[in-house]
Amino acid sequence: MIEVKNLTFSYGKDKQALRGLDFTVEDGEIFGFLGPNGSGKSTTQKILTGILKGYGGKVSLFGQDVSNPHGQEFFRKIGVLFEFPYLYANLSAVDNLNYFASFYPKEQRRDIGELLDALEFKRDFLRKPVSSYSKGMRQRVSMARALVSNPRLLFLDEPTSGLDPSGAVLFRRIIEQERKKGTTVFVTTHNMVDADLLCDRVAFISSGNLVALDTPKRLKEKNSNHRVVIDCLVRGQRETRTIEAPELEAGIPFAHDEIISIHSQEPTLEDMFIQYTGRGLS
Amino acid sequence: MGNGFLALVKKDCRMLASGKFFLMAMGFLVLYTAYVNLGYLRFMRMPPYNVYLYDPAGTQTEKSSLVWSVSSVEEMDAALLSDANGVGLDASAGEVRVVLYKGAEHVDRHRADYALSLLEPAASRTPEVLGTNTPEQKARKEITCELLFFELAAVGFLGIAAVLFKEKGMGVIRVHAVLPLRKELFLLSKLAVFLLSDLVFAVLLTLLNVGLADGAAVLPAVLLQTAVLSLLMALVGLLCALLLKDFRQFTLAYLVIAIFAATPVFLSANTSVKFDWIGWHPFYHIYMGLKNAYFGTAISPVYYAGAVAAIVLLFLMVQLAFHREMGKEG
Repeated sequence: MIEVKNLTFSYGKDKQALRGLDFTVEDGEIFGFLGPNGSGKSTTQKILTGILKGYGGKVSLFGQDVSNPHGQEFFRKIGVLFEFPYLYANLSAVDNLNYFASFYPKEQRRDIGELLDALEFKRDFLRKPVSSYSKGMRQRVSMARALVSNPRLLFLDEPTSGLDPSGAVLFRRIIEQERKKGTTVFVTTHNMVDADLLCDRVAFISSGNLVALDTPKRLKEKNSNHRVVIDCLVRGQRETRTIEAPELEAGIPFAHDEIISIHSQEPTLEDMFIQYTGRGLS
Repeated sequence: MGNGFLALVKKDCRMLASGKFFLMAMGFLVLYTAYVNLGYLRFMRMPPYNVYLYDPAGTQTEKSSLVWSVSSVEEMDAALLSDANGVGLDASAGEVRVVLYKGAEHVDRHRADYALSLLEPAASRTPEVLGTNTPEQKARKEITCELLFFELAAVGFLGIAAVLFKEKGMGVIRVHAVLPLRKELFLLSKLAVFLLSDLVFAVLLTLLNVGLADGAAVLPAVLLQTAVLSLLMALVGLLCALLLKDFRQFTLAYLVIAIFAATPVFLSANTSVKFDWIGWHPFYHIYMGLKNAYFGTAISPVYYAGAVAAIVLLFLMVQLAFHREMGKEG
């Protein structure tokens, strides 16, 4: 679906934003693109969505080189959720969606009512102007805008930003449903929970370089110390013991009265990110 | 493409309606029409200066009805004290003596000549009249031309920029970057809506203030000039809105255009003030194009060639600025 080879880009002579990225995204995959501010995430997404030109290397989407002048057919196949909910504040959710949907062929459009219902949008606000909505409601309308054209490739920039925990769970479910339909999803995020729960593979980008690319599980496993921490009661006393994971194969290798909890010492995705890039995500 | 363009036009109309632009344009139309018919024409019919004559012996038998007779020098002095622009004529000593409070020298000469001319029979100074417009027709066409120019150059320019600043502020321009839409349609729809609105405004303003018959006769030429000015100003407005950071900066640019660009044009075109460099001022040619349209004077093809070139150049610049805006960070 997406093939990127030796992608470079610079803003002017001295500001190299991308320094030779290589990655591919398969059909129906949810691909996470993670990096701190200024790392080159947005630049990459702009190149992939056809907004930025003048890059080096090769980028192809749907098997076609993005640098070739692509007509409206390309934009019909993609849906983009921006980091901020960009909507007409003077129009209602329905009017906004009707407007943005009108640029797509009728047979491609989804039913706006059903879409907003799926996103649990409050019905009372359907006809009210967007200026009266909370950030979460705006984010829901923006997500509906990105999905209204039934895109084959979905670009999501911080999809759960501005949502409460239940909203974030709902969005993850919706993204999962999209993937089940065969949609490829390219997620740019700071949110490690989103990346960990949603993405089939994640790429870490730092200072314009791709520093790691794998499944979240493998990234964590690769860097795990393979130890397990066991909380237990031994002769009425609470104790914490750390053992090597393979030792568990033969059962708990020490005498104990009761096991209280067992924790693996697997690093989090954020730990991995810091390890690879030397920087936090914020 | 057609559906997309219609959607853009509909959206732009809604943006303008919600920003009360159409209401404002109607308000301006009513205001201008009231000003022309209830104020300007009456003002133009008024004599330029009041003339007071003291002629105790009644020597001035041919005096105009515009001359006010006074019964004493003291009365004339009192009248001039309360009307410092007025002119006194003292005929008490046989020869007529002009009395006035000093102003600018060339104006004072005009005041004196005008006052003395009112003592002669009207037929003695009848000049050869060129053109077919009556003084009222001329006044109506002149003021309508000025008001239309102001409306298109200032109000329309401000309107289109306000709409684009709103869209910039809402970030929706970036959304259009990823829509299956020929990007220039986003700009063309705005130009079309403003052009249409300006043309309707020009028709109504001309018919209401120049008159139905006279207005209809000049309307095709006026509409052509309106289209030229509307497109140019809309493109300048779009360019400013795309390049400038916020509406405050834009207001400054607007003031520069309104004061430093428009003022010398109005002065050169409507008064005896002439600047050597005014021929290099693009607004002057645009204004004169509109004025020539109202008075049925031929317009040079060079002007049209220049106008088309300016429109094309501005459109290309606006497109560049628009693509730059679409690629900006959130």
